[in-house]
Amino acid sequence: MIEVNNITKSLPNGRQILKGISFKANKGDFIGILGPSGAGKTLTMRCLNGLTKPSSGQILIDVNGKHQDISNCNKKMMRQLRQKIGVVFQGFNLVKRLSVLENVMIGKLGQINTFRSLLYGFTDSEANAAIEALEKVKIPHLANRKAGSLSGGEMQRVAIARAIFQEPVILLADEPIANLDPSNAKKIMKQLRPLAEQMPIIGVFHQPEIASKYCTRIIAIKDGMVYYDGDSNISESLLAEIYGDELQEIEQANVQLNLSPV
Amino acid sequence: MNAKTSQKIKKGGLLFIFLLLIYLSMITCEVKINILITGILNGLGFILKMFPPNINVISKMVYPALETIIIALLSTIFGVILSFFFALCGASNIVPSWLKATSRFLMAVERALPEIIFLLLLVSALGIGPFPGVVALSIGCVGMLGRLFADAMEEVNAKTMEAVASVGASKLQIVQYVVIPEILPSLIANSLFRLEMNIRLSVLLGAVGAGGIGYEINYYFGLLEYKKATTAFLMVLLLVFLTERLSDYLRKRIIKEGKLK
Amino acid sequence: MDTTINYKLPSKKLKHKATFMVLIAFVSVGLSIYLDFDPSLFFTEGHHIINLLGDMLPPNLEILWKKTNIYTAILETMGMAFLGSVFGGILAIIIGFLAAKNTTPAPIVRTFSKILLSFQRVTPSLVIILVFMIAVGIGPFAGMLTLVFTTVGMFGKLFSDTIEEIEPEPIEATYATGATKLQVIKYCIVPQVSPSFIANLFFSFDINLRAAIALGIFGGGGIGFELHLAMKMLRYKDALALMLFTIVLIVFFEKISDFLRNRILEKQSLK
Repeated sequence: MIEVNNITKSLPNGRQILKGISFKANKGDFIGILGPSGAGKTLTMRCLNGLTKPSSGQILIDVNGKHQDISNCNKKMMRQLRQKIGVVFQGFNLVKRLSVLENVMIGKLGQINTFRSLLYGFTDSEANAAIEALEKVKIPHLANRKAGSLSGGEMQRVAIARAIFQEPVILLADEPIANLDPSNAKKIMKQLRPLAEQMPIIGVFHQPEIASKYCTRIIAIKDGMVYYDGDSNISESLLAEIYGDELQEIEQANVQLNLSPV
Repeated sequence: MNAKTSQKIKKGGLLFIFLLLIYLSMITCEVKINILITGILNGLGFILKMFPPNINVISKMVYPALETIIIALLSTIFGVILSFFFALCGASNIVPSWLKATSRFLMAVERALPEIIFLLLLVSALGIGPFPGVVALSIGCVGMLGRLFADAMEEVNAKTMEAVASVGASKLQIVQYVVIPEILPSLIANSLFRLEMNIRLSVLLGAVGAGGIGYEINYYFGLLEYKKATTAFLMVLLLVFLTERLSDYLRKRIIKEGKLK
Repeated sequence: MDTTINYKLPSKKLKHKATFMVLIAFVSVGLSIYLDFDPSLFFTEGHHIINLLGDMLPPNLEILWKKTNIYTAILETMGMAFLGSVFGGILAIIIGFLAAKNTTPAPIVRTFSKILLSFQRVTPSLVIILVFMIAVGIGPFAGMLTLVFTTVGMFGKLFSDTIEEIEPEPIEATYATGATKLQVIKYCIVPQVSPSFIANLFFSFDINLRAAIALGIFGGGGIGFELHLAMKMLRYKDALALMLFTIVLIVFFEKISDFLRNRILEKQSLK
């Protein structure tokens, strides 16, 4: 469970990007965050896993029944909390020269201490668990390949396997399908969806059609505030309100991608 | 005056300064054509004196040749390890900026001093022998390899490092699982290149007291035993040639593998 | 889990890594023993190094402006490096053209140039300076000739590789207009390779400056010679002053040549 309480963020030049964002996500939620560019979606995501510190507000994460604030904690606590937050990135961000299996195992790096990883690294039983994670995303046959030799869709599946293997309490996905072609994008969304049964998933998406098709809930952010929070079946008129002038561009892009409107 | 003529004047001026510099340098370096001509004749006569090489001393050369190789090999191993730590402290994406500046400064100072000066210092403190040779050459690696490694580390994708940090990994774990694998090909290729350099350098340093085959060459030259010196010289040629081939071969294989299967 | 795939499990990788590490450690220790290389000397003999440092401090910076032969030494070192790069560079370019497949006048010339270049590359500078010292006497002239020789060896091959790597299409097109080989070289090849040649020659000056100091120790004159003399005569404070000056000199020229090199290469990439 994750609870975001009224977070704000100002740039050093005084411009306020986030003007108080609050929401709550529970098991079973697959939240798609939508919004025009510059609205503060990516910044919100960065706050959620502690890469950026909000100017004010709380982000409470439920770890074993205790509520910890990731926006205000020391380095050690931050490491412990991050172990429990899985992240899937737009650019996949795999270590290209390591094998797929090793990339998946990196997910648990925060959970073993530094001395052990320097001494002998991971055990075989952990590797077998990592292979199971690869089986869940249906690519165990790629385990020995170098990550850099994979296609974009395969890389993103490895990244998801890394997040599954990490056994987080919450999964963040920062534009996970933005770099993929439509058929791969749909496959990734299909693999993400069932994971929501075990942990809340919060993703930022650029394609409202895909988000409303696969997500269970939509949060729209506009001008640094939550504009809409509710059912994933959102109407055309609401979309127009959220995106304003940008909607036309998005629709054009969707036509190019051969996406049928909802 | 139009632009074309002014450019012509500028070019002419540069050429004039260039030629003047050459002329002045030739005066300070005591370059004299007549000396060069007699020198070439001298040199040719001298080279004739060097041949044929005296094969009998070859058995005496085996140990020094081996010593040269070992000095180069050991100092490359120690030097690479030393350089790696300096590079870690000199990469802006891994350490705070004050540490980076300190490490980069030390490496620049080291790069400025030729290895032979370190050797002279160590020899006057510790006496001659392979020990100061290995130490001088190991330190000598830091300026060049340290900088190359640090530059390679700074080029590691920041997003990948951030992704691994986001699972809660510590700095050292990020170094172990991201930085090292990503820079490994360039690390190995540069170390092999340095091994080649170290073989050459250890021949040179040998003459000043690091031992090995460089010492033999200098020794026989001093005794005017040129035919024996030639034998040592030919062994060096063979040595350098073989290491060059070997490291070329290994480097090519690594680059091939680096292109990912 | 699928057992038909032969997974590379961590234990297997660890075994490889451990074997490799142990091998390196064994080789290092074995070679150290064979060589009588004893790191404990650092601790038992360390006081000698500390004593030496004590003797060197503070550096006698005055010699840099009080002794006139230091001026000449500095000029000699810079002159050696400069001429080594200029004459060595010119020779390297000529031989580079003779050794490149697409510009050589005849295959036999190419083979001969290539052999010459690899001979120059593998010959240790120690032997070269010893020979030149016998030929023209001790002094900066011998040092300069050595630098010319090594510069040709180092950069000749690089230049011929650069020439061989340029695109063949414009050359063929120029030949098709009836141009002679020299015309093709002048109008097609030289403009393409000259920025990289000039950048490399600046780099060679950097290298030669360092080498000029090292060669001075063997009798090539210049700062190296003065430094060696100061150490031999146990004038350690003078030696430290010279070393500090060397560092400043080399770092200064490194910055200049870095700057010029980047400017030249930038100009080229803008075109």
